[in-house]
Amino acid sequence: MRTLLALAPALLVVLVLWGAGLVGAVRSSLGVSRLTGWSAADLDAYRALADDPVFWESLWFTLRITVIATALSLVVAVALAAVLRRSGVVARLLASVPVPMPHLVAAVLGVLWLGPGGIADRLLGGLPVDLVRDPAGIGIVLVYVYKEAPFLALLVLAAWGPAVAAREEAAAVLGARPLQRLRWVVWPAIRAPLLTGAAVVAAFVIGAFEVPLAIGPTSPQTLSELALSATREASLDGRATASAVLVIASVLAVSVAALAAAGLRRRHE
Amino acid sequence: MGASPGGAVVLRGVDLEIPTGGRLALVGPSGAGKTTLLRVIAGLEPSATGRVEAGGRPLDGLPPHRRPIAMVFQEPRLLPNLDAAENVAFALRAAGVGRRERRARADALLAEVGLDGLGRRGVRGMSGGEQQRIALARALCPDPGLLLLDEPMASVDPDRREGLRRLILRLQAERRVTTLIVTHDRDEAAEMGEAIALMIEGRVVQCDTPRNLFLRPQTPAAARFFGTRNILGGEVVDGVLATEAGPVPAPGPDGPARLAIRAEGIVLDPEGPLEMTVREAVFTGSVLRVRLARGDMRLEARLPPDPSPSPGDAVRVAVAPGAVWRFPDDDAVPAPGPGVLHP
Repeated sequence: MRTLLALAPALLVVLVLWGAGLVGAVRSSLGVSRLTGWSAADLDAYRALADDPVFWESLWFTLRITVIATALSLVVAVALAAVLRRSGVVARLLASVPVPMPHLVAAVLGVLWLGPGGIADRLLGGLPVDLVRDPAGIGIVLVYVYKEAPFLALLVLAAWGPAVAAREEAAAVLGARPLQRLRWVVWPAIRAPLLTGAAVVAAFVIGAFEVPLAIGPTSPQTLSELALSATREASLDGRATASAVLVIASVLAVSVAALAAAGLRRRHE
Repeated sequence: MGASPGGAVVLRGVDLEIPTGGRLALVGPSGAGKTTLLRVIAGLEPSATGRVEAGGRPLDGLPPHRRPIAMVFQEPRLLPNLDAAENVAFALRAAGVGRRERRARADALLAEVGLDGLGRRGVRGMSGGEQQRIALARALCPDPGLLLLDEPMASVDPDRREGLRRLILRLQAERRVTTLIVTHDRDEAAEMGEAIALMIEGRVVQCDTPRNLFLRPQTPAAARFFGTRNILGGEVVDGVLATEAGPVPAPGPDGPARLAIRAEGIVLDPEGPLEMTVREAVFTGSVLRVRLARGDMRLEARLPPDPSPSPGDAVRVAVAPGAVWRFPDDDAVPAPGPGVLHP
């Protein structure tokens, strides 16, 4: 109860801002407006989405990018943290550069580097695969890994401190090999911040549209791009469709957070 | 062996050998390089020169997890996510031993260290003493060829240290595991070590029996560390070193010499040959620590509590002949002085 009271101010802000927005999106997705009221509520927008193969393609594309980008970011973050914890301040600062960088800037940099005729193309004399506008979304994933891995690495570094290093030494002298130390000593210490950070990254990837717009393919679109496109439709149906897509994206993001919370509660050995 | 972790030379020409099943205490002031030596032996720090062998087998170049060595650190370093038994059996887990066998071995070891029945308990809520007992059991679990103990009593309450000391001695005697124990406490070193190596500024200055190190240290630095602050330098003539306070009996031949006098061997004696003034008299619980002076000369005596002289009193002092010894490195003595003391 005391914890809940302590968290109340932050929870209030989140609930008012996010909750009000979500209620608005739900109303809109159900076709409710000031003119019609709740009596006109229906699930037409959701039914239309369920029947639309473009939506399913978009959902699958979003999920695939989210899972791959988050998983790769996690692996790179742990490897980066393992290197950075033995490095000096300069190396840590350099590695942290992508963290405050806006995603759009990172995406534009991605286009400059990875696009046809881009820096990488000229340096290497041609890239083996298309990374900009590629239907598989590899470019999107790379930009997210570039942006999110340092963010996760900073979270990991905060937990992978001298106390964990001391326990690693004790484990090494007891015969534990490097991978065993990573699994039994380091992982239990970094698991909580890493899972929390991963939930944040996944939720962001589900909801963000700057990077897919800048570097992603025209088709398939991510859910956020799909919602954005729908809002540009002239009809009222377009607005309901966009809201329905955003509600579905929100449910996905909350599900990811719930999964992470469940993972944190599970006792780890 | 030499080692320079972080670029600073910490170990200089260290040469130590512990007989199989033996117990050596490594003692010295803070910053002497004791922990660095242990870390080099364990493979946690590289050595710049020299080699480490265990049972005739060279260990240089082997990572820590491949050395037949276990170590107990100053702080327990237990894994907070595991219960006591799983902490104890950690080395067995790393070696791929099955859960049932691990539990059985861990429970037996926990009983040996006086924590019978606590195997399923988490280690977070345990006292420092209990945690260090678990760390000791954990180190003994894989039957190491060499056990390194780095000031294991440091994180334990003072009233629990004696129990832990006795436990370490008992287990070492029962298992005959070759043990190197680091401490900065000379009394603890005497209790824990069959032999003591004194390390100062990265060098082992004397490796000897506890008795010899306390009663006959071979260098002024060793004497100071083991509590003898009365060190005189000068010319011995006719078996006597002339000082500002009077003659001090000196063993050995005439010539330049450095002498040490045990504080317990100095007594107040109205007929004594040394004339000195009491500068300080402090009751330390069992004895009176008296600081005496005459000119540049200083002596420290440990006297019975009564009668207690007062600061400023002029007293006569005698030195028991058996309390004086001569350092063997007489050649290194600089130009003879008038019995100047180096407290």
